Amino acid sequence: MPPIDRLVYAVLLFAFPARIRREFGRDMADMFEQQLHMARAAGTRTADIWIQAIADALRHGLAERFTVVKHAAHGTLRATGRWRWWVHAFLKDVRYSLRILARRPAITLLAILTLALGIGFNTAIFSAVNAVLLRPLPYPDPDRIMALWEKRPAEGVFDNPASPADALDWIRMNETFEAMAAMTPAPLDLTGSGDPIRVFAGAVTPQFFEVFGTQPLLGRTFRPDDAVPGRHRVVLLDHGIWRERFGANAAVVGQMVSLSGVPHEVIGVLPETFDFPATTVRLWVPLVFAAGTEPSRTSHYLSVYGRIRRGITVEQARADMDRIGTQLLQQYPDANRGHSVQVTSMAAELKGPIRSPLLLLLSAVAFVLLIACVNVANLMLSQAAARRREMAVRAAVGAGRMRLAGQMFTESIVLGVLGGAAGLCVAWWAIAAVRQLAPVDTPVVGMAHFALEPRVLAFTFFLSLVAAVLFGLLPAWHLSRQNLNDTLKDGGRSPAGVKRKLRVALVVSEIALASLLLIAAGLTIRSFQSLLGTESGFRTEGVLTFDIALPPARYRTSDAQLAAFASIESRLRALPAVRVVGSTSHLPLADNDARRGVAIEGREPTPDTPTRAHVRAITNEYLNVMGITLKEGRAFGPADNPTAPDVVIVNETMGKRYWPGVSPIGKRVRLGGDTEWREVVGVAGDVRFWGLDRPVNPEMYLPQVQFPFPFQTFALRTEGPPSSLAAAAREQVRAVDPNLPLANIRTMREVAADSVSSRRAGMLLLSVFGVLALVLAAAGIYGVMSHLVALRTSEIGIRMTLGAEPASVMRLVLREGLWQAALGLVLGIAGAVLTMRTFRTLLYEVHPADPLTIVAVAALLLATAAAACIVPARRAMSVDPVQALRG
Amino acid sequence: MPRARTSHDVDRYLPLKPLVFQVLLGLVGGERHGWSLVREVQQRGGFGRIMPGNFYRTLRSMLDDGLVEESDTRPSAEDDDERRRYFRLTPLGSAVVAAEAQRLEAAVLEARAKKLLTRRS
Repeated sequence: MPPIDRLVYAVLLFAFPARIRREFGRDMADMFEQQLHMARAAGTRTADIWIQAIADALRHGLAERFTVVKHAAHGTLRATGRWRWWVHAFLKDVRYSLRILARRPAITLLAILTLALGIGFNTAIFSAVNAVLLRPLPYPDPDRIMALWEKRPAEGVFDNPASPADALDWIRMNETFEAMAAMTPAPLDLTGSGDPIRVFAGAVTPQFFEVFGTQPLLGRTFRPDDAVPGRHRVVLLDHGIWRERFGANAAVVGQMVSLSGVPHEVIGVLPETFDFPATTVRLWVPLVFAAGTEPSRTSHYLSVYGRIRRGITVEQARADMDRIGTQLLQQYPDANRGHSVQVTSMAAELKGPIRSPLLLLLSAVAFVLLIACVNVANLMLSQAAARRREMAVRAAVGAGRMRLAGQMFTESIVLGVLGGAAGLCVAWWAIAAVRQLAPVDTPVVGMAHFALEPRVLAFTFFLSLVAAVLFGLLPAWHLSRQNLNDTLKDGGRSPAGVKRKLRVALVVSEIALASLLLIAAGLTIRSFQSLLGTESGFRTEGVLTFDIALPPARYRTSDAQLAAFASIESRLRALPAVRVVGSTSHLPLADNDARRGVAIEGREPTPDTPTRAHVRAITNEYLNVMGITLKEGRAFGPADNPTAPDVVIVNETMGKRYWPGVSPIGKRVRLGGDTEWREVVGVAGDVRFWGLDRPVNPEMYLPQVQFPFPFQTFALRTEGPPSSLAAAAREQVRAVDPNLPLANIRTMREVAADSVSSRRAGMLLLSVFGVLALVLAAAGIYGVMSHLVALRTSEIGIRMTLGAEPASVMRLVLREGLWQAALGLVLGIAGAVLTMRTFRTLLYEVHPADPLTIVAVAALLLATAAAACIVPARRAMSVDPVQALRG
Repeated sequence: MPRARTSHDVDRYLPLKPLVFQVLLGLVGGERHGWSLVREVQQRGGFGRIMPGNFYRTLRSMLDDGLVEESDTRPSAEDDDERRRYFRLTPLGSAVVAAEAQRLEAAVLEARAKKLLTRRS
C-alpha cells in the first residue's frame, strides 16, 4: 500500500477508541491493504473502497466508543473513561427528561410554543442581519471597493453624484486605485421578442466590472474601445433578463437587440451571483459621451466606484483623492467651488443605512426571547415545586445533588432544543413574511442569502442552548438550595420564602422587558404617524402615474417628442374616467432627479451660498393634477409656448433662499450653461420631493414646451379608483406608438407608500414584536401573580374569617401586585429611554421620552397586572375559610 | 474446576449474527489469522466486502464473550507470518457454533418439509 494510503487509513482508525487501536490497529491496516489490493485486482474503483472504509470506521468506531457497559450483564464492567460515564448519564437523563416532558403534554407544549416564538423570530431577524450585515459583500476582496462622491461640506452634502468631467478626471488622475469607473442608470426600451419593456441600463465606463471583480458568465465585459462614439453599440445582459427574455440561450451572444430603437450587439451575460445594489438595472451599456462635445462639469449624475490597489490603505486613497479635488478646484474654480471628493467604503455605503434599523429589531426580538425565557422559567419553577418529593426520594436513594440539578438542567436543554426545532418552523414562516416587507426605498445587497443558512442554523442551536441556560438555571439552582430531608418529612409541601422572592423578581423583570419593548414599538408607530402626517405638498389620493420615455432613435427632434407627448396627453384626457392629465419630467418621491447650477440675476454665488436648483419640466395642468398649491403669481398656460418668453415657477424654498424678503415674481434666473434669462411668473408650494422625512430644496418648474425632456411621468387624476385605469391608459399610449412601454405604473399613494417602505417595515415588525411581548408578558404576569396570590389563600382565609371586608382584602392584593408592576415599569421606562436615544435617528419628530407613548404603555401594563391580580384574588376570597385554613 | 456448561449457557448466544457464525465456522478447522478468515467468508458469499472495522469489532466482542481466543500455537514455519495473530475456537465457541448449526438445520428441514427446497439429486 502506498504510504499515503497507509497514512490516511491510520487517521481513519482514530474513529476507534484507543484500546481497539492498540489491540487491532495494525491488523486492521493490514486487512485494509489486502482488501484494497484485491479490489484493485478485480477492477473495482479505489474510491468505492475508500468510501466503504470511511463508512466502516465511522459506524463501527463511533459505535464502539459509545458502547459503554455492554457486558455489565455478565457482571464484568469494562473499564471506561470518566467522560464516557458522563455521556452515558447525559443520554440517560435525556431519555428520562423526554418521559417527564411527555407526561405533562399541555405544559410541555406551552413551553415549546413560547420558546418557538421567541427563538423563531430571533432566527428570522438574525438571518436578515446575517444576510445583510454579517456577510461580506458578494464581490472578491470587497474591502478594497470604494464609492466616491462629490463632497460639499459647506452645504452638508457628502454624497452628491459627480459630474462627468470630474469623474473622468478622477479616473485619469488617481494613483491609488487599481480600477475606477462611473455609472449612471439610463432608461431604455427593449423591443422585439415579446412586449416592449422599459428597463434600466447601467451606463458605465469600461473598468466598471474590474472594480467589482466580476467575470462574465458568457462572452466578455467592456473594453475601452466600446465607449468610442460612433462605433456600433454593445450591451451586456444581466442574468435575470437573459433567462426571462432570452430563454437562457447561450447563442444570444453576438446577436443584435434593439434598445430604444438602436441596434446593440450582445457581447456577454453576467453571472447570477453579480448583485449590484440597484436592482432595477437589468442591462449594462458603455457610457458614451457625444462626439465632439466636452463632458459637462456642471451637471451631476454619475456614481463613481473604485477598487483600491493592493497594499494601499483607505487613508492613502483619501489623501490621493483630496489632492485631485484640490487640483480640480484650482483648475476650475467656478464649476468646482466648494467641492472635494468623498471616499466611502462600499460596505459602509450599503450596510450603513440598514444597520441601525436591523440592530433595533434584533434587540427588540431578543427582548421577546427574554420574556419567553422568563415565562418558561416560571413554568419550570412550578414543575420543580410539584416534583420536590420525587427529587427528595431520588436523593434519598443516593443521587448526588449535582446529579439531581443536572437532571433538571438536562430537562431544560431538551426543552430548549425542542423549542429551537419548533422555532425553525416559525423562522421559516417568518422569513417568508419578512421578505415581503423588504424595503424598496433602500438598496439592499445580499437578500438572496436571507434564508436558513448554516450560520443561521448554528445561531438557532446556540440560542436554544442559551435560552435553556436562562430558564433552566433558576429552577436547578432553586432545587440545589433546598433541604431535601425536610421535603421528605413534610410530604412535599414547603415554605414559600425563596420561591416568593424568585417569582416577584420574575414579574418585575417581565414587566420591565415588556414595557421597554412596547415603548420602542410605540415610538416607532408615533414616528411613522407623524411621517405620514407630514404635509407632503401634493395629492396622493386618486392619482395614477406612469413613465414614458421616447427613444431618441425614433424621436430625434424635440418637436417630435413634444408632438408625441401632446397626442398621448390628449388621448388620455379623452378617457371618460380621467378628470385632469398632466406630466412632469421628475415625479416627487420617485427617486430621479436633476439638479442644475442656476444664475440669479443680481446675486453672485459664493462658496457658502452656491445657487442651485432642481429643474422639472411640467405641462400646464401638472400642478393642478398633483394639487400643488400656487402661493403667488400664475400657473403656466397655453400662452407659454416655445416661441413666447421663457418663464419659470419656483418653489417657496427657492423664493425665500434666493430673494429673501421680496417677492420673486418678475425676477430672472438663468440655467447653468444657458444664455437666456427666464422670468419667474409664479411661486408654488413646497413639495417633499426627496422623501417625507427629508428637507425641501430649491425647485424650479419650467414649461415642458420650453424645456423638453425625452421622458415624462404622466399623472392622471381619476374618477374612482386610479389603479383601474392602468389598462385603458396603456391602450391609449399603444395607439400612439405600439413600441412605447409604460413603466412604473403606480398610484401616487403607492409611490408615497414605497418611499416609506423601510420605515413601514421597521414599524410593522416592531409592532408585531411589541404585541407578541405583550401577550407573552401578560400570560407570564398572570401566571406568576395568580400563583403568588394562591400562595396567600390561607392568609386570605384567615383575614376573611376574622371579618376583613372583601374590598380591603382586594386592596391588599392589588397594592402588592401593582407595586411590583410599578417597579418593573420604572426599570423598563428608564431602559427604553436610554435605548431609544441610541436609535434616535430612526425616530421622526418624536422624542425618545415621548410622554404619550410612555403613559399609554404604563397604563396598558398596569391594567394587565391588575387583571392578573383581581382574578386569582376573587378566587381566593370565594374559597371557604375552613378549606383555606386546612390548605 | 470449571462449572459444567448447561444448554442455557449456549442458548444465550443464539441466534448468532451471520458474521459471527461464519467466523466461528471458519475456525472449526483450526487456528486462523484475521485476513484468511475474512477471505474465506467473502468467498463463501453473501457478505460483500467485509471491512476491517466491522470484522475486528465483531472479533473483539467474540473474544469478550469467550467464543474465541488468541492462539499461541503457530502453524508450520513456512506458512507462518510473525506479525499475524492467530485465533481459535474455545470449547464454548465450539458448542455455540454447533448449536447454531443445529438451529439452522432445523430451520432448513422445516423449509424442506414445506417444499420450499427441492432436493438436488
